[in-house]
Amino acid sequence: MPKRRYLGEMELMVLLAVVRLGDEAYGVPISQELVNIAEREIAFGSIYAALDRLEQKGFVTSSLGDPTPERGGRAKRYFRVTPAGVRALTMTRKALTNLWSGIPQLEGRHS
Amino acid sequence: MSRGKSNPPGLGIWLLRHACPGNHNQALTGDLIEKFRQGRSHGWFWKQVLIAIAVGVLGEVQRHWPHFSYAIAGAAMPGFFWESVLGVRSVVHWYALPWPWSQLVFEWSPQALLALAALPVLAAALLINGSFHWISLLRTGVISVALITLLHYLPDAFPWLLRPVAGKPHFRTLIIEPVFVFFSIFLVSAWLGCRSPRQAKARPAEPLG
Repeated sequence: MPKRRYLGEMELMVLLAVVRLGDEAYGVPISQELVNIAEREIAFGSIYAALDRLEQKGFVTSSLGDPTPERGGRAKRYFRVTPAGVRALTMTRKALTNLWSGIPQLEGRHS
Repeated sequence: MSRGKSNPPGLGIWLLRHACPGNHNQALTGDLIEKFRQGRSHGWFWKQVLIAIAVGVLGEVQRHWPHFSYAIAGAAMPGFFWESVLGVRSVVHWYALPWPWSQLVFEWSPQALLALAALPVLAAALLINGSFHWISLLRTGVISVALITLLHYLPDAFPWLLRPVAGKPHFRTLIIEPVFVFFSIFLVSAWLGCRSPRQAKARPAEPLG
């Protein structure tokens, strides 16, 4: 079966958070970014499930940092967006903008 | 901060390690410990653990839906076809066959027929999923027959696995509901049978501390 190349809502939000965080994108800041920007507290399990899917699609790569005592000796896993991920974001933005435009009921509304 | 407060529930961490499917459990556990030590409550930690397990399990079902289809079909087969499957032995006159064919037909035909009846479901699901391989189908069928055979003879070695049935004094059944046992057998068979060597790679070791 061909792999899905489009972004779901959760994947889009998580991928945007990863892009915004740059080199500091691991679970805790990603979660905080989603709270700050999207005003949604999302469970870590759901965030990692989205990151897993993004990694399988080739939109992010990940690497392990060093284990730290405040994390019980567990290492941080840092995520970075790939060129394919940037392309997927650009395409999704274009598609959403096209869908958003030309709807009289939504013209000029910014919530 | 007291020691009790700074350490998250050990059982929760154990569950994340052993009951939560996923590729990033170590990092997820580290994130939860980090947030917990920043002041989150035990309730918050447990909620995160349970959501992580639920999301992980649902993801596995979604990823391995052909295996679950096979398990559901396999679990349903005995309910519909068990009497017919047992009847096949008589139809082929197993007692008239030369040994060892008579023994093989008598002992293995029900298991083999059950597995054969469910295999088309797995084949169709794998085809739809784009992961069909004859060898996977063959392996799954053989493992299913082996496990059903094991289930067939296990109560002889462990009689406590059987319980009496109300209203049927000469009839005994498994202490666990047979449909769950068959579901597990067919699921394990498909999981082992359709596993490629790449998927069988070991999990990374959990750090100490």
